[in-house]
Amino acid sequence: MNYNAVIIGGSAGSFQVVTKILNSLPKTFPMPVLLCLHRLKHVRSGFVEALSLKSNIPIEEPFDKDKLIPGKAFLAPANYHMYIELANRIALSTEDSVNHSRPSIDLSFITASNAYRNKLIGIILSGANKDGAFGLKKVHDNGGVTIVQDPEECEVRTMTQSALHLTKVDYVYSTDLIIKFLLKLT
Amino acid sequence: MTELGIVDIREIIRNIASKYDYDFSKFALTSFKHRLEKIMMKNNLSSVSGFIKKLKTNKEFFDIFLHEISVPSTEMFRDPSLWRWLRDELFAKINDKNLNRFKIWFPNSVSGGELYSLSILLKEMNILDKVQIISSSLSNKSIEYIKEGRCELRKIEVSAENYIRFQGNSNFSNYYRLDRYYAYRDTSLIKNVEFRKQNINFDNSPMNIKLVLFRNSLIYLNPSMQEKILQVMHSNLSATGHLILGIKERIKDMDTAKEFDPVNELEGVYKKHILVK
Repeated sequence: MNYNAVIIGGSAGSFQVVTKILNSLPKTFPMPVLLCLHRLKHVRSGFVEALSLKSNIPIEEPFDKDKLIPGKAFLAPANYHMYIELANRIALSTEDSVNHSRPSIDLSFITASNAYRNKLIGIILSGANKDGAFGLKKVHDNGGVTIVQDPEECEVRTMTQSALHLTKVDYVYSTDLIIKFLLKLT
Repeated sequence: MTELGIVDIREIIRNIASKYDYDFSKFALTSFKHRLEKIMMKNNLSSVSGFIKKLKTNKEFFDIFLHEISVPSTEMFRDPSLWRWLRDELFAKINDKNLNRFKIWFPNSVSGGELYSLSILLKEMNILDKVQIISSSLSNKSIEYIKEGRCELRKIEVSAENYIRFQGNSNFSNYYRLDRYYAYRDTSLIKNVEFRKQNINFDNSPMNIKLVLFRNSLIYLNPSMQEKILQVMHSNLSATGHLILGIKERIKDMDTAKEFDPVNELEGVYKKHILVK
């Protein structure tokens, strides 16, 4: 097992789950964590601060063309799409919304999958629309690992169920099992 | 949607460069790929060779390509706090004499969202007729589009919310009319604007500019092209000129950074650095 990045997508009901995951990862986590979470487009600050409260790894909202670094989490900024470029860099975009969303989870997952191929772990969490389902399929098609939060545990199931509907994913896990899986990589 | 591979993209770039002398290899790859795929889908082009052939043989289509490869603004008054800054901290402090020589440049207008936003801001300050505004676009199609003022209804909704946060002194609905499918912006707002066509290197662009509004355009370029374009902006600015970039475009780590002083980094506002002798 040898991966280069983890990407996590979520929407309604995912905040607690993401927080729990971030709080469990050690400082030495050996790859970048990409976070694409639906958020209010006009609220710029507060989200990173809230996620950072108990996280061991630094979390930032990247600027365009920032380098991806292991042991750091990168949160898609409000009102921008977050793409992953081949050269291990972030590229931001103000192109139109996809699935009524900017940032769009599909676009982050698709571009990350093109950059990392089978070295990517894609995780879809609780959420209220289908954004992310197609992106997770791309991760799967490119040989990456796909994980979906157990819909039974999700506050809102639409996102996870859409993902499960489109892709035969590798794992359906509770939050605790997702964490256990990630800790095995360290 | 046809998914393009790197080889396809290079082939398209090479053919455009040989026919039209536009070098798109300096564009950021991921967004460029995404735009190309959208253009192919929109124009019912299923093969790369067919796409290339149409680009090379149909000049009108190449103009449309230049319009569609560019990313339009999806909302007016994006980042309302910046527009408040422009009104309250920049324009409110310029005296009448200086306003008459105040030249504003939009280097990369695609849909005119930023241009119309600033025009509204200036109109509400009663200074729209005093300043000089230049809007450059890659394609004739973009210029036509801006002059027509047409806008999707959902974009008007977002823009109206932004306008409220901008705290404009009118009602946003005064600035457009609706038909069944579209909103049409009040084109009298841009009647004095000078429209120009330009290439992707911004050659022959206007000089002595006091304010450049260039938000969220650098993000579509690779780092070396970003440097190059910033240098163009620098040489086009007057000694006291301001450059406005997108809030997620950071010049701190670039070579050009020393040529600009941050004025309000949170809003992407920079000033031309003055060398003191």
